[in-house]
Amino acid sequence: MRSIALIAAALVALAGCMEIEQTATPSRQGKYQGKPDSTPWSNQPLAAGPQWKQGDRASWEEQIKKRQLGQHEHRRIYQ
Amino acid sequence: MRTLSRMTGWLVLALAFALPAGAQQQPAADPDPIKTQQRRAIEQPGNNAPVWRNVQSGQPNYASIPGREAGVLIQPQARFPGQDAIATAGEAWRKFRNGPVTVYGGWLIVVVCAIIAGIYFVQGPIKVHEQPTGRLLPRFSVAERWAHWVMGISFCVLGATGLIMLFGKHVLLPVFGYTLFAWLSSLAKNLHNFVAPLFVVSLVVFILMYLKDNLPEKGDGAWLATSWRMFTGGKQPASGRFNGGEKVWYWVGVVAMCLVVSASGLVLLFPNFEQLRTTMQQMHIIHVVSAVLVTGFALAHIYMGTIGVEGAYGNMRDGVTDEAWAKEHHANWYQDVKSGKEAAKSGAAPQTQH
Amino acid sequence: MARMKFLVDAERCIECNGCVTACKNENEVPWGVNRRKVVTINDGVVGAEKSLSVACMHCSDAPCMAVCPVDCFYRTDDGVVLHDKDLCIGCGYCFYACPFGAPQFPQAGAFGLRGKMDKCTFCAGGPEADRSDAEFKKYGRNRLAEGKLPACAEMCSTKALLGGDGDVIADIYRERVARRGVKGAEAWGWGTAYGPPPKGAAPAAAPAGGKS
Repeated sequence: MRSIALIAAALVALAGCMEIEQTATPSRQGKYQGKPDSTPWSNQPLAAGPQWKQGDRASWEEQIKKRQLGQHEHRRIYQ
Repeated sequence: MRTLSRMTGWLVLALAFALPAGAQQQPAADPDPIKTQQRRAIEQPGNNAPVWRNVQSGQPNYASIPGREAGVLIQPQARFPGQDAIATAGEAWRKFRNGPVTVYGGWLIVVVCAIIAGIYFVQGPIKVHEQPTGRLLPRFSVAERWAHWVMGISFCVLGATGLIMLFGKHVLLPVFGYTLFAWLSSLAKNLHNFVAPLFVVSLVVFILMYLKDNLPEKGDGAWLATSWRMFTGGKQPASGRFNGGEKVWYWVGVVAMCLVVSASGLVLLFPNFEQLRTTMQQMHIIHVVSAVLVTGFALAHIYMGTIGVEGAYGNMRDGVTDEAWAKEHHANWYQDVKSGKEAAKSGAAPQTQH
Repeated sequence: MARMKFLVDAERCIECNGCVTACKNENEVPWGVNRRKVVTINDGVVGAEKSLSVACMHCSDAPCMAVCPVDCFYRTDDGVVLHDKDLCIGCGYCFYACPFGAPQFPQAGAFGLRGKMDKCTFCAGGPEADRSDAEFKKYGRNRLAEGKLPACAEMCSTKALLGGDGDVIADIYRERVARRGVKGAEAWGWGTAYGPPPKGAAPAAAPAGGKS
């Protein structure tokens, strides 16, 4: 009886040598992890401000890219 | 009790290894990085390597906004025991906490619970061989019981809330979901913060109150060596008011480990004394490692004090014990009480009911 | 797919703290919290002084996310690391783990008790409804949902601080470095490693689309 208990304890102890995934929900790029948040492009563009087609990711990215290139003064000034 | 003594050895060993070395290595130092940078600005404009080395070293620079370590761009380097590469202190801390501490700490708790369950269900609780006599001896005074229970209950609150914060993400979060688990964790964190000072005070009172009877005596070693027999229904060697196992628990578990847990916890509890992140990371690791170890130890103590030993719980609850129990578990103490030696020592009159 | 990043040009930052002020103004951050800071290395030394503006770097493998005991962090489709203040318990672990000191805690009570963590959101708000009052109160402005970039980067007077898709701002920076005088490749210090460039060689990268 005691030997069975010892073997069982040894097996359980052996399990301590396992390496396990630390994050309960491993962070995956582009995947929300249980917490809902709307995407920027799902909003109606403001009347005064940059325009894109609501819900269309590509048009939002196109618009934001233009804005990013606005930081490029070589292009902004000389083109 | 032999398992207990062996566990104690591991605890001490593990604690010694657990202390972070805080090793901080710097790359081969440039004697005057400012001069080098000035020279670079002329010879190789745009090559700011000396500045980037400064950024990586984690040394504070000038920042106009207030705040502790506001001038540190990247945390200094550090390495915790068992890590093969030096990394940013925060990264090293993350790897140590999320790695060995969580994995082995979690399994330690599981294994201790499994061993206790194994002993309980395979061997059963330790029984008193003689029939109860009905004559009661005073064992713990009211003050001693208060000191024990204030410390014990606050310990259990701290232990449970601490386990929620360390393992809850892996165990409870998938079951409870985010909202409920965050609410529970928030409660746990606040309980942990506010119960901690009570625990520290009661710990000091407890240590002083129980010190005298826990001093090592002749026969403690013999008790530790042969007491395992009681798990298989045998008789245990005679001991004083506290036996060898209880003394190991007192000195290693309560005095050494709980004081380490308390001291490191106080550093984390009051982050407004200008302590830096490096200090808090090291203290956090010391705190969590010693806390997990002492929790495992306490589980063994709680088992022995409640369902593991017949009649043990009543002693601390009511402060009195049956003569048969005293003779079985603390024969020398029983003799002392009977002969009036113990009464003279503790000032309590033997309360016998004939 | 965009991966939002910040990039700061140490050759251009003049430590005006405009980004810090822009951030505080745009997001109305809690008292005692600075989501962005400017650090000056070799302060006051002629020829060696460099300034850098730093906030949350929106790491791909974010340490804050890994150590959070309630798992309150998440990464948006644009690679922005955000957190949910409703879940945050104020334990301070993200502050231990972050290399850059981005997560900060407003003091919520006596003895340094921590409140809900606050950090740079890349002006992308949080899990509340976009551009709502609740979102603004907890996380500040959601400029991405307005089709704009973070206020700090857009306000930067010398364009030392760039914000946006990592690929785009890296291109801007690359062209900028290539234009920095005839030194070209020497600017990177490659001359030291690979010997001087052959005579009459063109600068390392020809700036695309430039007219001057």
